[in-house]
Amino acid sequence: MKLLFNRKTMTLISVLLLLIVSIGGAAAQDPVTITWWTLASAESPEPAIRAVVEAFEAEHPNIKIDVTIMAESAYGDLMNTTIGAGEGAPDIAYFWETPWLPHTLDITDRLEADPDLSRDDYFEEYFNNWAVYNDRVVGLPFTVGANFVMYNKDVFDDAGVDYPTADWTPWDYIEIAKALTDPDKRRWGGDRPRGPFRAIWRNIGATKPYSDDSTTVEGYINGPDAVAAYTWLWDLVDSGATPTPADIEVLGTEGTGPVDLFIAGRLGMATLNNGHMITAANAGVNFGVVPEPHVPGNERFVHAWALRASIWAGTEHPDEAYEFLSFWAGPEGQRINMEIGALMPSLPAVLEDYPDAEADYFQGFMGVLNATQTAEWRATHPCWRGAVIRAVSDAWDLIMLGEIARDEVQATLDAMVEPAQAALEECVPRLGG
Amino acid sequence: MRIDDQALSIQQQLRRSGARRRRQRLVGHALVYAVMIFLALLFMLPIFWMASTSLKLPREIFAWPPEWIPSSPQWGNYAEAFGKYPLGRYMLNSAILVAANIIGGLISVPIIAYGFARFEFPFKHVLFLLMLSTMMVPGHIKLIPMFWLYQKLGLIDTYWPLILPAYFGNPFFIFLMTQFMRTIPRELDDAARIDGAGAWGILFRIIIPLCRPALTVVVVFTFVWVWNDFLEPIIFLRDWDSYPISVGLAFFQGRYSVEWHLFMGATLVSIIPILVVYFFAQKHLIGGLASIGIKG
Repeated sequence: MKLLFNRKTMTLISVLLLLIVSIGGAAAQDPVTITWWTLASAESPEPAIRAVVEAFEAEHPNIKIDVTIMAESAYGDLMNTTIGAGEGAPDIAYFWETPWLPHTLDITDRLEADPDLSRDDYFEEYFNNWAVYNDRVVGLPFTVGANFVMYNKDVFDDAGVDYPTADWTPWDYIEIAKALTDPDKRRWGGDRPRGPFRAIWRNIGATKPYSDDSTTVEGYINGPDAVAAYTWLWDLVDSGATPTPADIEVLGTEGTGPVDLFIAGRLGMATLNNGHMITAANAGVNFGVVPEPHVPGNERFVHAWALRASIWAGTEHPDEAYEFLSFWAGPEGQRINMEIGALMPSLPAVLEDYPDAEADYFQGFMGVLNATQTAEWRATHPCWRGAVIRAVSDAWDLIMLGEIARDEVQATLDAMVEPAQAALEECVPRLGG
Repeated sequence: MRIDDQALSIQQQLRRSGARRRRQRLVGHALVYAVMIFLALLFMLPIFWMASTSLKLPREIFAWPPEWIPSSPQWGNYAEAFGKYPLGRYMLNSAILVAANIIGGLISVPIIAYGFARFEFPFKHVLFLLMLSTMMVPGHIKLIPMFWLYQKLGLIDTYWPLILPAYFGNPFFIFLMTQFMRTIPRELDDAARIDGAGAWGILFRIIIPLCRPALTVVVVFTFVWVWNDFLEPIIFLRDWDSYPISVGLAFFQGRYSVEWHLFMGATLVSIIPILVVYFFAQKHLIGGLASIGIKG
């Protein structure tokens, strides 16, 4: 029987097949490239970002990280554009806006199967409030952020006022602010809250703006505790011990809070965060940290947040992306950022090694981390921020501008019930509640 | 004698009134200069404040009373700003983008405007209106489709998305240039045509040399717009080393605070090229704008 191919042809075919197989094998070993968008900041500066990439690639030679470092002001536009276009979004990024959450990869199973990382490694409340969405794990909390009151010790000493302590009340805050205010020095005692139903609201007792089942605002938005909180705001504004919103705008704090006035010694106390704390420490300000004031007997709340580090649902390399995510937002990556930058990690075991851990201000900061987060309620009630807060903003504005009398607070809030109820009813079918 | 006396008297009166007019003119000039110096100082105040802030410590920036001239200038702020981010590289990148856009504008705008100003073709007015209408579309609306397009073309993270549009003509400049060209007498074209020049010859030898004021407007405006453009570079660029200075400056504005002293130092250095360009081009620029405004 004659062979179908002669020997030479068979040899050629064999060589070709071997070549194809070897090329295919080599291709399979080519490193996978993961795109990562992040921000350069004092907490996580460019050298720290590069160091994370270097350390990860050394451990994972088959994964390459293509990092894009961008400015804070650019980030939102770029994420909106790429998510809107449906392509071009990075494999890994901060997904901090709620509308971006449906575009994140569910990593619940991957995290549960991870032998090196667990949700228990993180601060519990930060994980629950910032990494979980609709019972899915949609990311890992990167760093911890919280509001607290920073007080300028030099201003207090100059005014002969004792430093505040953790057991102070909201009315103590007003009295201290008045004592620190000095018009000749263009100095205010303290700042104003930046919105209702944040920590101090809840510390007074106004724990929520509407019912847990998201059906009614009556008795919540205008309940006795809410009236007490709004009246406290009225007293603070009336005291003249705080800069007006116009002062804050004119003095150019660019939406970052009144940290500039605080650093300049023109604001004795300010509700700031740990990012501001680092800024003030670097500027050589002599300051201390206390939790926001609260009413004895009430639960203490803190307005806190984490950066949500997530994987884009459209990634072509979910396994490799998770490898990097768990490195960057896990103990190794956060430790690198802490040591090179000034990151405060979301993992207690890493945070306890913080370089300035003995400093008074850091101890003060640690003191607020255990309070209940305002995000706990907000996370399950999305209509508050998107709809109801707008409907009741008139009451806020009228008090901030000094346009109503103290005894008109109750009536003003009563007038907000109808628009707030309408906003809630419109929103709940849309966003849930 | 009487006549001589009268003549002398008239001469003296004339001399006196001449001296009075000179005095009045002098006072008038002095007043004008005083007002101009006052306005110049007023307009320079923000730049002076920027320079002052760039030499302060963070705690001095918002201090009261404000310190106009820092008692201990922090010259190291400049070194810190340029050491923190590669601002020199970013300025070079901006210069490359500016040069490429200016070249693109100088090529595309006169050619397109020449077509609208000198030729008749079907739907000319409709096309001109269509082109003008693109100016009414807000830039943000175009971002997602443009991103999608350049993504498909594989041009993300290159300078092409920031350069290519200039080579297809900017509608605002085309409008300006068309209006300017319409003011140039057609007899010049006819004379050139009699001498044997074709359409391209007329454009390059007659029209473009006469359009120098309008071209200066194209150059200066392109320079300022591209130098200051922030949104498009952040959408299309990814590489840390490829950012322009507008993006580099944004790094000083963090999530929680702004490093004002470094930010002001870097900004002050970054506006120097714009000031230099304006200084050298102002004569042509003002002339160009005025002639477009009057003749257009």
